[in-house]
Amino acid sequence: MSEQSTGLLGWINARFPLSKMMREHLSEYYAPKNFNFWYFFGSLALLVLVIQILSGIFLTMHYKPDAALAFASVEHIMRDVNWGWLIRYMHSTGASFFFIVVYLHMFRGLMYGSFKNPRELIWLFGMLIYVALMAEAFMGYLLPWGNMSYWGAQVIINLFNTIPFIGEAVSEWIRGDFVISDATLNRFFALHVIAVPLALLGLIIGHILALHEVGSNNPDGVEIKKTKGADGIPLDGIPFHPYYTVKDILGSVVFLAIFAFVIFFMPEMNGYFLEPANFDPANALNTPDHIAPIWYFTPFYTVLRAIPDPFLGFMMMAMAIVVLFLLPWIDRNPIKSIRYRSTLFKINLIIFVITFIILGYLGLKSVTDLYSQLALRFTEIYFLFFFMLWAYSKPRSSGFWIGSFIVLLAGLTAYDFLANSSEQPSLIWKTWVIPAAYLFITLLLPQFTNWDSEKQVPERVTS
Amino acid sequence: MKILNKILFLLVLSILTMSSAWSASDHVYAKNQFGKVNIELKNKASLQRGAKYFVNYCLSCHPAQHSRYKRVADDLRISEDLMIDNMIFTGQKFGELMTVAMKREDAQKWFLGVDPPDLSTHVRAIGPQAVYEYLKTFYADDNRPFGVNNLYLPNSAMPHVLIGLQGLQQANFHASQDSNGSEHKEFEKFGMIKQGSLSEQEYEQVVTDIVNFLAYLSEPAQLIRKNVGVGVLFFLGILGMLAYFLKRNYWQDVH
Repeated sequence: MSEQSTGLLGWINARFPLSKMMREHLSEYYAPKNFNFWYFFGSLALLVLVIQILSGIFLTMHYKPDAALAFASVEHIMRDVNWGWLIRYMHSTGASFFFIVVYLHMFRGLMYGSFKNPRELIWLFGMLIYVALMAEAFMGYLLPWGNMSYWGAQVIINLFNTIPFIGEAVSEWIRGDFVISDATLNRFFALHVIAVPLALLGLIIGHILALHEVGSNNPDGVEIKKTKGADGIPLDGIPFHPYYTVKDILGSVVFLAIFAFVIFFMPEMNGYFLEPANFDPANALNTPDHIAPIWYFTPFYTVLRAIPDPFLGFMMMAMAIVVLFLLPWIDRNPIKSIRYRSTLFKINLIIFVITFIILGYLGLKSVTDLYSQLALRFTEIYFLFFFMLWAYSKPRSSGFWIGSFIVLLAGLTAYDFLANSSEQPSLIWKTWVIPAAYLFITLLLPQFTNWDSEKQVPERVTS
Repeated sequence: MKILNKILFLLVLSILTMSSAWSASDHVYAKNQFGKVNIELKNKASLQRGAKYFVNYCLSCHPAQHSRYKRVADDLRISEDLMIDNMIFTGQKFGELMTVAMKREDAQKWFLGVDPPDLSTHVRAIGPQAVYEYLKTFYADDNRPFGVNNLYLPNSAMPHVLIGLQGLQQANFHASQDSNGSEHKEFEKFGMIKQGSLSEQEYEQVVTDIVNFLAYLSEPAQLIRKNVGVGVLFFLGILGMLAYFLKRNYWQDVH
């Protein structure tokens, strides 16, 4: 198709590839026609990003990044700025919704194998976006300068203290002071409003360019580019615009309705989106009764607390995120979509989702004997999940399954003998059943059932 | 010596602030024993009375430094003259923040090192029910500097400022043993030992009005937030319907 070469558009096209870009990324970007519910979350993440940037710009017009003024300036926004409360609630609710949307987006990738060849780089860009988003959220959380902002940042930055030899120096370097102070607030403001958002934007552009280079995956995990018509257009593809633009408009409106409901009717979300202790100003002399990170960090916080040794716990928490980066090289099974994977894969994925939610719940609670044992058990399952993904990559012998079962169970049990302690020793053995049962289901059951059988992947997408 | 004094002071200060920090964990009475406060933000009369009690009894020590007199007057339909004549005691202007004249150093001295918390935000941190129970559970205790203690917040540094209204009540405790066998005091009931100017029901209303006002003050946007929300959701509902039909129309030829 030739570009329009007359009029204003023609003038622009002669100097800038406007029509060309529109075609490549919208009207002639062919997306599979069988996207389902789970494929809304990419465009929704973009929508939340726009909401965060716009509301953020208006917040910075009134916010003061100064330890003496920050808390009052937020209250000023809540009370004296026209519609300031709405802008602020959009931003605070938007932060939580960003993570809801991104977690669902990542889960979609897990389900349909969207990280697999040729989409490894899309996944890596996505993981970098996720990490940048965590940094963005963590630094943003300090800015209201409430008491939970202060103590939450204190706890998280002190994690770096656990690094041998250089730990103290590193956390001092991050804070710019010996304690969380004005210097910390000021630099977190700079990082939150410009440094990390710039990085985020760049990474998102990379994420989308990589996606448009290889084309979208779909719920069947079939490469639509393999079956093209005479015109060179994938037979199962439809132009992103107008088909998916109108579909995403519908998705966006439904999303905005849920978003608006939270903003207007429950902006604190029972203390999960805005924690009560954060309505008191930062106070170095008064620790909140119970310091918990905001909900989207709690699964990793639980992994951290599950290991008694601080540095080891810190490393495990980092590993819990690093292992996600490695996903394309862990799950090597050529079948992408969960629809054609084995029953075992489905069970494993369901257990992983439950594990992630339980880890998140435990991170919100104070440590008790029972909870710390459960934290350990579900941390074990969190990591074992990735072993199973690797194990399910190809057919394996009975010896492999039984051998893995024995080695892994022996490893877990050895840890219990060597390092696991509890005030009620019986708890150790009661909760030991959890990973043992997990290993039994995922490694031994295929010996007695046909749960490891996979289905034939069709040539074309099913509708 | 000076440094030692400073350290000692900080130590004492931190112990005091910690011991009197709001904590709901160690109540010696049953949950809801004193009823649940009924927050009625639509009840303008109650909010106005609450504002009156607040500036008379609370604002001398507790600031509401994030709120402006004018905002309260506008939201509660109190006229400017009425507000300036009857509710601003500090000589401040109508548009100014509701701060207190008391110096922070004085507060520290008078209240055992505790700063009276700012009531425009603190109530949102602890919830209105906490204030409600706090104001209802002062009782006579000669061991405390102001002669009163509090059930909700044991060893609270605040005097019972509403004593003239409520009167002074006495708390009856009985010893009880918990499952671990350790003994502790358990609250039984209050008995009035010095009558105040109000009856029990009247005092209940005063407390409710104050708490109602504080609930408003912690987030003034509450007065309109939900109404705006209904409008926004209505708009999104219509937009959603249009978006649905648009999508259905475009997708007709996709098989």
